[in-house]
Amino acid sequence: MALIELHNIYKIYAEGEENEVRALDGVDLTIDRGEFVAIVGTSGSGKSTMMNILGCLDVPTYGDYYLDGISIKERTERELAEIRNFQIGFIFQGYNLIPSLSVWQNVALPMSYQGVRKDEQYDRAMAALEQVEIAEKAENRPNQLSGGQQQRVAIARAIATQSPIIMADEPTGALDTKTGAQVLSILRDLNRAGTTVILITHDNGIAAQARRRVRVQDGKIIEDEILEEVSP
Amino acid sequence: MSAIKLAFDAILEKKGRSFLTMLGIIIGVAAVLILVGLVSGYNADITAYYEKLGVNKITVDITYYDRTNTVDITDDLIAFIGDDLADAVIGITPESTSTGTLKYMANSNSTATVYFGNEQWSACNNYVIDRGRDLLPIDAAQRSRVCVIGTYVAESLFGYINPVGKTITFGGEPFLVVGTYYQKDGTAEDSMDDMIVIPYTHIRALKNTATVTKFTVKVQNADLMETVMAELEYFLGDTLSTNTSSYTLENGNDAMTESDEETASISIVLGGVACIALLVGGIGIMNIMLVTVTERTREIGIKKAIGAQRSVIITQFLVESSVLSAAGGVIGIVIGYAGSLILGKIIYDLILVPDTLVTVGAALFSVVIGVVFGLYPAVKASGLQPVDALRAD
Ligand SMILES: Nc1ncnc2c1ncn2[C@@H]1O[C@H](COP(=O)(O)OP(=O)(O)OP(=O)(O)O)[C@@H](O)[C@H]1O
Ligand SMILES: [Mg+2]
Repeated sequence: MALIELHNIYKIYAEGEENEVRALDGVDLTIDRGEFVAIVGTSGSGKSTMMNILGCLDVPTYGDYYLDGISIKERTERELAEIRNFQIGFIFQGYNLIPSLSVWQNVALPMSYQGVRKDEQYDRAMAALEQVEIAEKAENRPNQLSGGQQQRVAIARAIATQSPIIMADEPTGALDTKTGAQVLSILRDLNRAGTTVILITHDNGIAAQARRRVRVQDGKIIEDEILEEVSP
Repeated sequence: MSAIKLAFDAILEKKGRSFLTMLGIIIGVAAVLILVGLVSGYNADITAYYEKLGVNKITVDITYYDRTNTVDITDDLIAFIGDDLADAVIGITPESTSTGTLKYMANSNSTATVYFGNEQWSACNNYVIDRGRDLLPIDAAQRSRVCVIGTYVAESLFGYINPVGKTITFGGEPFLVVGTYYQKDGTAEDSMDDMIVIPYTHIRALKNTATVTKFTVKVQNADLMETVMAELEYFLGDTLSTNTSSYTLENGNDAMTESDEETASISIVLGGVACIALLVGGIGIMNIMLVTVTERTREIGIKKAIGAQRSVIITQFLVESSVLSAAGGVIGIVIGYAGSLILGKIIYDLILVPDTLVTVGAALFSVVIGVVFGLYPAVKASGLQPVDALRAD
């Protein structure tokens, strides 16, 4: 059974009105456990919209989304919160850090909802921050960091929970080539260790490093290509 | 438990906002306590004034048209009260005043009120003998040159010397001080302690009036006022000739009732002002909370997106706004009490403690507003889809 199944998904804003937008226009997509999928497309093509639905942050206007074989519609609000908390590490395009918390507290927050002990939260947060080389800013506030540094904190927050799925919306958008490559290698390592990685990017060079590439245009999937077979 | 910790962190984090929220509550609660305290101080002050003045007094005022043909009813009136109304009445005294200069050796006092009274004057006017003796019936009968003096007259003329047995002069006439009254009104110039009483029978010589025209009747209690008024009405109607005179009876408690009504309306006005203060405080809290809704909605969106349960978010906000509101309430109460005590001391020289019910009510009101509006963004935003909360602006 596939991990993720999208069946004929539509996301339509202002439906029936003059300014109707079909952000997703009949999407079918299946993703198995352990895959490393890059979703590429031009700006406004519907990538973030698809990612938000995959991450249970939004609901489709029409269509069915099966996660682990169960339709999202059948999940209670409580279960969805648990899925977001335990199953998915989400890296947002806009970072979405909480300004009033320090860097390490931001990273530890999802763990606090999981009921992880306070000292363990700190240790794991620091370990994740070290992985993205931003540990020296652990006590700072997000607004004291540069865009690229904030992005790395957002990545640390997503990987610290050690969730089975990582969803990353332009995780290297604000990073230079070198740091971007580092982040990518972290994601590859996680994938090698079994994590399912879904990565959004408009950069074909980065997309080429994934194992599968899905191209989106005007809310439709126009290309779906295996780049590298999953090693057994 | 961790919700409490998170809430405290959030409070400390946003000191400015936290302080402003508390300020609304502090101002509201303190203003209410102080205003209500001052109203009760004013009430107590007025009541004390009337109590000093004496309650349950009836003033009898007789006007004679024909000065040449007047019949003095003083003895008859006093006898009537003594015989027929002894159970209902504490006393009756002629009530007439004069001013002039009192002198003892080199000292003088020209502010004192000089009362012409009888031996019941002190009982009718709530004065109590301290040293020496009060006026006696015989003083009036023999027109003795004696007087009883208030504490301010004693102080201004005699300093620390015991005045009893000394002779002062009034209008050039000598009067022997036979007694002094206890202090009643702070021993100040023009106060109720700046007075002397002399036998009313000196009225003819000193005031140049033939007869006493004014009397004070002191009644046992307020319930008997009407009865005594009616009896007096009956007696006066019977005794006085309507051709040559008329009379009025005045119920002294009426003035107090009037001032009670005045006090009540002042209470209502100040109470209204207090309510407005509370409301303004409440609106302040509301505004600050609502202004931060966008910011907080985004924060809630992030928390939901990374897996916070709705109940966790609401609990955190509940604790946060309760702690803030309660702290504001407590500080408001402390300031309100301090303000009442200080202002009460300064203005009324009284220890004013705000009413417990008002205190609890005001604090509860502010805290409820604080909690409700602190909780509002949490309840609203935590019900949204995470993306919608994240998109808040
Ligand atoms: N809340 C919304 N209301 C109306 N239209 C929306 C809303 N959110 C997204 N859209 C529209 O849906 C389309 C897809 O948006 P989406 O954010 O998914 O694009 P994207 O592929 O992530 O672009 P980018 O690479 O710039 O991030 C866009 O045309 C956008 O204007
Ligand atoms: Mg996007």
